[in-house]
Amino acid sequence: MRILVAMSGGVDSSVVAGLLKSQGHDVIGVTMKLWEGPNGEMPETGCCTAADSEDARKVAAKLDIPYYVLDYTKSFSENVIDNFVDMYSQGLTPNPCVECNRSVKFDHFIDQAKKLNCEKVATGHYAKIVSNDDTFELHKADYLEKDQSYVLHMLTGDILSKIDFPLGTISKPEVRQIAASLGLKTAFKKDSQDICFVGKKDYRNFVSSRIDFSSGGNIVDKNNNVIGTHEGVHQFTVGQRKGIPGGQGQAKYVTKIDVENNKVFIGSKADLTTKKFIIEDVSFVNGEEYENLSIQTRYNSHDIPCKLKKIDDSIFEIELYEPTLGVAPGQFGVIYNDTKLIGGGRISSKILENINE
Amino acid sequence: MKRNDYLYLDHAATTPMRDSAFEAFKNAEEFAFANSAGGHELSRRAKNLLEESRDFIASYFGAAPSEITFTSGGTEADNWVIKAPFIDTKKNQNLVTSKIEHEAVLASAEWLENQGHEVSFANCNKDGQVDIEDFLDNCNDNTSVASLMYANNETGVVQQIEKLAKEVKSKNSEILFHSDVVQAVSSEKLDFHKLGIDSAAVSGHKIGGPKGIGIMFLSSKYKLPNYFHGGKQELEKRAGTVNVSGVAGLAAALKEHQDNFESEKKKILQERQIFESEIKNALEAKIVGEKINRLCHISNIQFKNVNSETLMVALDLKGLGVSRGSACASGAQKPSHVLVAMNVPDVDINSHLRFSFGWNTIKGDGKHASEIVINTVREIL
Repeated sequence: MRILVAMSGGVDSSVVAGLLKSQGHDVIGVTMKLWEGPNGEMPETGCCTAADSEDARKVAAKLDIPYYVLDYTKSFSENVIDNFVDMYSQGLTPNPCVECNRSVKFDHFIDQAKKLNCEKVATGHYAKIVSNDDTFELHKADYLEKDQSYVLHMLTGDILSKIDFPLGTISKPEVRQIAASLGLKTAFKKDSQDICFVGKKDYRNFVSSRIDFSSGGNIVDKNNNVIGTHEGVHQFTVGQRKGIPGGQGQAKYVTKIDVENNKVFIGSKADLTTKKFIIEDVSFVNGEEYENLSIQTRYNSHDIPCKLKKIDDSIFEIELYEPTLGVAPGQFGVIYNDTKLIGGGRISSKILENINE
Repeated sequence: MKRNDYLYLDHAATTPMRDSAFEAFKNAEEFAFANSAGGHELSRRAKNLLEESRDFIASYFGAAPSEITFTSGGTEADNWVIKAPFIDTKKNQNLVTSKIEHEAVLASAEWLENQGHEVSFANCNKDGQVDIEDFLDNCNDNTSVASLMYANNETGVVQQIEKLAKEVKSKNSEILFHSDVVQAVSSEKLDFHKLGIDSAAVSGHKIGGPKGIGIMFLSSKYKLPNYFHGGKQELEKRAGTVNVSGVAGLAAALKEHQDNFESEKKKILQERQIFESEIKNALEAKIVGEKINRLCHISNIQFKNVNSETLMVALDLKGLGVSRGSACASGAQKPSHVLVAMNVPDVDINSHLRFSFGWNTIKGDGKHASEIVINTVREIL
């Protein structure tokens, strides 16, 4: 089978290419160039650096497969970067990896694969596709520590039928072992954890450099008493503790961001507790399910048992069986039944307030 | 060099070495490997080979041997002539060039701009011909260098060098008129003095010679500050041990080129004509500069509604090598600055591919390539 493999230059996707090749597939490697400097240069930090694509090229050469760097910068900039900045300016906490998977990576990539006569695409994500007859389910990876199904929740059964996640049943140490046994130079390369286009720098500077926040505002407690001032709501996310004034012996957290009135609400840990909230733009892998559900409210957070209630075609209410801390509007609520991913959507800000108050 | 199964239509990027060039290169490394600046028998052999080659190359371009300096390639020659005249000048000297130059000229010009010198970039029309009036308007008493390529490397469109050189000179006779002729040498006969240019950049590997060797032609009327500093090679003009085997290979390639000029050109034109007419008949496609004077080996085609990045990959997977604009550091291909300057609309700018034929193109290549392209475009549409 001819398979298009997305190669970032990291060990995971290197091993994917190696495994598929050793299984006898006709493998083509592609690095998606997502982000660039003003003169088209590749970034020096974060992922997608020129050194990363160079690593991917070397792995492809070692495996003797065709390899290309394809330009996805326009789509990435429009769908991910603009959205990232916009979300912060609205007091939301974006998840650029989800946005990238949702609107850049898979759509465009699968379309390109089809044009290149590839039957499938493969990536180095830790997630598992389970097929029963004609349906394709998305499951958590066997190696839970690295499970990335959360950021893939928007993939539907239809799309999953065209994807392969070969690392779904392999552990990270095994991946490194395979890479070493194949002689791939990425075998012991450090994992990248940063937001690819921000790198090690503070995301706040990135956001500030792209949007004009002339107006600061007040930091208030839940009774609207002014505690301090801030220089723009984009500097805060719900659940943030760092840089919050006036502790009086007790740690304070951002509990809510009111963009319209330019206010940042702070409170104690208990004020961060949520029991009910709304998710919007909800999609399901293979249709709605209501039994035995649990939800993750952040990437790699623990599963909280919950009840799902339909409000509209794409809007659902989540009721948690146990209240939890730091549900941040803008992040995604991803629903599972045990290891099977049912669906997910973006945590809403407005409706969350109504329910909590 | 032997052809393999892969159909190579990217000669504008580089050409395979001609057999005679490879032989000459190898011979030089074997029998004349010594440093041509040395004082012994083996050095003399190298020096003799170097000067014989220089004589031939100079006469090929209608120049005097002393006007030919060997460089590492076209890029070095362009950098030298664009930047060096500004090294000791006052800040009010300026450079005039065009928006469609090769990166070697463009980036050198931008560097000068960053150093505080005035640089102007002349526009071109929608066919890719540089606007001569615009170019001339920018030339004035403070212009040190004017630079226009003989023919564009992406479209093949030939510029009006002879006319422009004359008019630039009549405006200000002291302007050094440079031309990057790298792409043109393989399909045009050039006489530098007849053309009226003062300097030119030539590259060995675009004409079946080795990589890493190039020529800087500079009319004896001009002197330029050195760009490289070191030993006293090349009449103290260019430091660094001379690449004698490269020079020998380049001279041999030029000789073979000269001997086969008419027949090769005819063959290339024929194959391109077949290629283009087959494509036009089968697909919605537009050929850049079709009706105007362009180099015989380049065909830049716009395929309506086709993403040329995907097309290029698909063609490669089928064994046809072509290119698209110029590659950036990562290997990703960016929309071409030439097409931007030609005002190609945004929807079409990523739909262009460059096909380029060369000395080892054989009868049937045009037809064969057109079949691959037509089938592939139909698949990805």
